[in-house]
Amino acid sequence: MLHRRIYQFLIIYAIGLGLLLALKYGLNLSDYVIPSPDEIVRTCRTYGGPYLLAVLNTLAVAVLGHILSICLATVVAVIGRLTAWIGSFIRTAAYNIQAYPIVAVAPIIFILLGDGLQSRLLIAAMICYFPLLLSFIGVFSEPIREIEHFYESTGRMTWRLQVKIRAFENIQKLTTVIVGSATMAMVGTIVAEFIAATAGIGYSIRIALYQSDLAKILVALFLIGVGTSLYLVSLEWAGNALQKRLKSL
Amino acid sequence: MKPSLKIICIACAIFLIACAQKEKLEEVNYRLKWLYNVSAVGDLYAETRGYFTRNGLKVNVKPGGPERDALKELELGHAHFGVASADQVLRAAAKGAPIVVLAQLFQVNPLHWIYRPDQTVFSGGEELKGKRIGVTFGGNDEAILRALLARYGIAESQVTLFSVRYDYTPFYEGRVDFWPLYLNAQAVIIAEKLEKAGETYAFLSPDRLGVRFVANSVVTTREMVEKRPETVKRFLTALLEGWRDALDPRNQDQAIQVLLDADRETPEAVVRKQLPVTRELMLPAARIEFGKIDAVAWKQTEAILRSQNLIPGSVDVESLLFTFK
Repeated sequence: MLHRRIYQFLIIYAIGLGLLLALKYGLNLSDYVIPSPDEIVRTCRTYGGPYLLAVLNTLAVAVLGHILSICLATVVAVIGRLTAWIGSFIRTAAYNIQAYPIVAVAPIIFILLGDGLQSRLLIAAMICYFPLLLSFIGVFSEPIREIEHFYESTGRMTWRLQVKIRAFENIQKLTTVIVGSATMAMVGTIVAEFIAATAGIGYSIRIALYQSDLAKILVALFLIGVGTSLYLVSLEWAGNALQKRLKSL
Repeated sequence: MKPSLKIICIACAIFLIACAQKEKLEEVNYRLKWLYNVSAVGDLYAETRGYFTRNGLKVNVKPGGPERDALKELELGHAHFGVASADQVLRAAAKGAPIVVLAQLFQVNPLHWIYRPDQTVFSGGEELKGKRIGVTFGGNDEAILRALLARYGIAESQVTLFSVRYDYTPFYEGRVDFWPLYLNAQAVIIAEKLEKAGETYAFLSPDRLGVRFVANSVVTTREMVEKRPETVKRFLTALLEGWRDALDPRNQDQAIQVLLDADRETPEAVVRKQLPVTRELMLPAARIEFGKIDAVAWKQTEAILRSQNLIPGSVDVESLLFTFK
């Protein structure tokens, strides 16, 4: 699984880089517009180490933000499945909040929380929680009639049991959505760092953009790709392990 | 001939002449460094008040922005002329970009640092020691600040560098002593807020402290200069004339109106304060000719970038600076 993910990423990255270099030599562009292979290698040697640490920093925040968004989506979906007014209100509020572009909301977050970890975490969570929320609301609002009917007719149905039944019956769907939203968590964290932070690879990309240094950005993109692939593989592995365990019960 | 027929004939003739003239106009794209603001007032003035047309050009003045790089657009052929800061130009030249500088818009770099003189004692560069100074890491204010520190023999460990963003709260709250801003843009707004709060303020000018770091300049490609010298000449003539007139206090109202038509976000009262400051930075002395390229300041800028390893090697500054003979 790990090999496949990394392999696929490397192919995509190589194609992208190849196209850029073809453009550079085809149009006879200077190293300022598109860096030469030499410059990319040199930049990788100089900045590879610090950028790797920055990617790990970003990845750590993305993982925390992802966990936060999963918790948030679960809570909102569990409450949102209610037919009562509060359920409907939460659903509407969740959709409305998501309707605002994060770049417009981010400055308010940074003014309130500063440009530290909290802001990065919150923005990462906000960006990746909506796809989770949509699926979670779908899963938790849809009754599993053949099972729930038994507990309802015997008067043993509680809200916890209802949530457990629905989660168990849709575990594959939930796992897929969680894995899918992992990339959003990474993107969210990078966006947060890009807008206002003093750490992480998004911050490094911002500085590189100030300096019009595409070589640095290419190195950063490579490391982001590898980091994200590793995280996705870990999630897929954890999801498979969980499904196997539940099936064995 | 009936009078009405006469009028129609004259109108048709005027229309045909106008069409013929329009056909003759040579179209070029001019990419600014930033969004439409007071630093582009002369560019907009030249465009809207017919300076380019009179020189046989149809110039599309396009706003820049954080994601726009005029130098890359020049090389890719999307723009024929552009505005870029000196550090951008030198970085590009160091990497082989075939560009030349046609004119220097600012004689004094508008980048300054604001501080509160009643809270921050400052009378010379040496007194930066021990201060908390805002800086945009990666931005040209970082290069300028590091040059200032080097000039006054202050190690980085002797100051506290504070990462700056668009939010001025850390400065308002007094957590930072010096905050970078553009004297002809944000400074006007921030100063007004501080005045309303009854606070005093002053500006640290790197130029006065001996660091002359060139700001925005008009650039084009070597190819344009070599293959279309007449176009370059006409463009530059019209642009400089437009700028001179836009900065002329007698044309202030027209210049402000031109800018307000393009930039609907900035209130007129703010623009009215920004324009005289811009004039001071572009024409600091009466005898200075607008657009003059300050070769000494360019060389100093190159030396600063080189000393901070922001360019891979030295750049032949003289060959970058273009003048019509």
